[in-house]
Amino acid sequence: MEHSGSTRVQQFIGDPLTGSAPVERSKLEEIFRDIQADLRFDHQLNGCLNCGICTATCPSAHYYDYSPREIVQLLWTENLEGIYDAMQEKIWACAQCYTCAARCPFGNSPGGLVMLMRETAIKHGMESAKNVLRPFSRVMLKLISTGNQLSPDMISRDAFPDWGPNISKVDAPLATLRKAIPVPTLHTTKTAWEVNLKTSVELYTIWEETGVLESLKAVDPNLFDVIRDIMDEKREEYSDWQEEQEEEDDD
Amino acid sequence: MSKPTDTPAGERFTGHGPEWQNTQLSAKDAQVATVWVEQIINKRSMQTGKERVEDVRDIMWQLEKDGQIVVHRVTEEHKPVMVKTLYGWDKKIPTVRLWHHKSCGQCGNIPGYPASLLWLMNQLGTEYLDETDQTSCTAWNYHGSGIGNIESLAAVFLRNFHQAYVAAKAQGLPDGYYYPLVHCGTSFGNYKEVRGYLLHSAKLRERVRQILGKLGRLVDGKLLIPEEIVHYSEWLHVMREEVAKLRQIDCSNIRATIHPACHVYKMVPEDVIYDDKVLDGNRVAVSTGIMQTLGAEVIDYSTWYDCCGFGFRHIISEREFTRSFAIDRKIRVAVEEAHADVMIGHDTGCITTLDKNQWISKADGRPVGLPVLADCQFAALVCGAHPYKIVQSHWHASATEALMEKLGIDWRAKKAEFEEYLKEVAAGRAETLYDPRRKITSGPGFKRIGQPG
Repeated sequence: MEHSGSTRVQQFIGDPLTGSAPVERSKLEEIFRDIQADLRFDHQLNGCLNCGICTATCPSAHYYDYSPREIVQLLWTENLEGIYDAMQEKIWACAQCYTCAARCPFGNSPGGLVMLMRETAIKHGMESAKNVLRPFSRVMLKLISTGNQLSPDMISRDAFPDWGPNISKVDAPLATLRKAIPVPTLHTTKTAWEVNLKTSVELYTIWEETGVLESLKAVDPNLFDVIRDIMDEKREEYSDWQEEQEEEDDD
Repeated sequence: MSKPTDTPAGERFTGHGPEWQNTQLSAKDAQVATVWVEQIINKRSMQTGKERVEDVRDIMWQLEKDGQIVVHRVTEEHKPVMVKTLYGWDKKIPTVRLWHHKSCGQCGNIPGYPASLLWLMNQLGTEYLDETDQTSCTAWNYHGSGIGNIESLAAVFLRNFHQAYVAAKAQGLPDGYYYPLVHCGTSFGNYKEVRGYLLHSAKLRERVRQILGKLGRLVDGKLLIPEEIVHYSEWLHVMREEVAKLRQIDCSNIRATIHPACHVYKMVPEDVIYDDKVLDGNRVAVSTGIMQTLGAEVIDYSTWYDCCGFGFRHIISEREFTRSFAIDRKIRVAVEEAHADVMIGHDTGCITTLDKNQWISKADGRPVGLPVLADCQFAALVCGAHPYKIVQSHWHASATEALMEKLGIDWRAKKAEFEEYLKEVAAGRAETLYDPRRKITSGPGFKRIGQPG
């Protein structure tokens, strides 16, 4: 990051001396309004005396330039420039453990507030969100099309080289090892468990109705297209099955 | 005090504020000065705001009385056991007729976790249903990526719990026969948080009611809300005396450290079991309770309250954080301070993180190794479950063999048995814990097979 002659705030917000503003005030207000409009906001932000208990307990604060106290202060004081700045990087450091929420004497949930800021970053198609979500494509593809977030075939030595050589300590084809799990719903390799077609179709309706697909389209249009194709096929398949059932019932 | 202008360029938002300066206190004086912000998240530290915390179940009963929702009750038929939570409130834990709400991380990555739980239920004669009409809670992805929102989380929650309510129809049994048992700690925390928002917000309820109406997932045109949201570790806790009666292997020589999961006991902390008989009621009772009842020695360690480092997105895309935290704040402390033989957990992400992120410690020349298992896997193991067929220990990267040796289990012989068994599996003769035909309760592939018996 360039520091010569400008602070990080100046880089994102503009130069307070010259008055230049790369991000319009109206945009900053719109972003804050979106965060504030979530029904959870008033439950998660009750006040703040800067005591710092949240940051004292925070695992991410050990490793990142991140402080839940700062996040709460920015939102509590409605520091629009600071909020926008934090959304460029800092909010993605939070490990979502909610230790901060468990300890806050005010009953604030800094971790919960971070989620509202992440959702808003995605809604506004911020570059930070796009960068952060890139490695999540496969998880999101699985999740949105099957309702599973992780599948056995995602755990490989190539994907997780730092986990060591033992993905399984018994050497056998993945499909055989999965069939050796004595839980019949788990005899799968592409999903964590066997998912009913009807279930996937219902879940897709939820994604559509709640605007999640639109959010996905804003940050990853290619993934959105792939998922739409998969789900259209599943809907068609389910519709065919329903028609077959009706015909059988008529017979 | 320094002035804001003293702050180096680019460091305005450091997390400390521009007026921050080092106090120059000695380590001892600093400890005295900051002890009031100690990090530990125990019962005492969470009781400070007790008078401001409401029991959302009061709102739930009122909404049902007003005809706005239907409550899925834990009935006498579920043989509930009453427990006390953080503030001394009652919570009903159903012990039979359970609908397994699986965990995608467990099923995909630690399959011995659900297999051990189902095996224990078989040993106890517990009636249950495991089926294909279930999605994950979607909260791992939500907390990691931010894709999702309160409406999607709420709709997914109520869709899955509605399915638990109606699933017994496939067996000719009434609605509400089965009660959902949530396997994943993240699902448990997320569902409880979402239930709170649903009960507080008429707007959210109406929005979700419209969506579930389209799915045919309403009861008499109303949302179905569960009376209790129950984690499997709570079931294991209330069943611990019964489970201990099955014990075949003496584990009194095992020094066990417990990792309490953040989304189990820090998220919606008022709904978590604290038991005066377990660590004097000072910490969450689950896992510690079953380990002590089985006869293992539970050893304290100074970072017991810390998270595992999973981070939801970090384990996928910033593993430097995950593995550093897991090794330095958890595994190494448990090994060097507590001289532990095993780390026991009760959540998906924690078991994965603590188990998988040990091998990399060799990279900096300070290798550390500690077997990591879920509480139900350990319980199954000492109750005689096969370490590979049931506990599925081969999926664990950590040295579970060392634990088995200390328990007197000939893991080499058991592994050889399992490898031989794989030939049977490949030939289509795999053993299962229940009749596989029960796994489909509606939709494509469904065939009625009658009542369980």
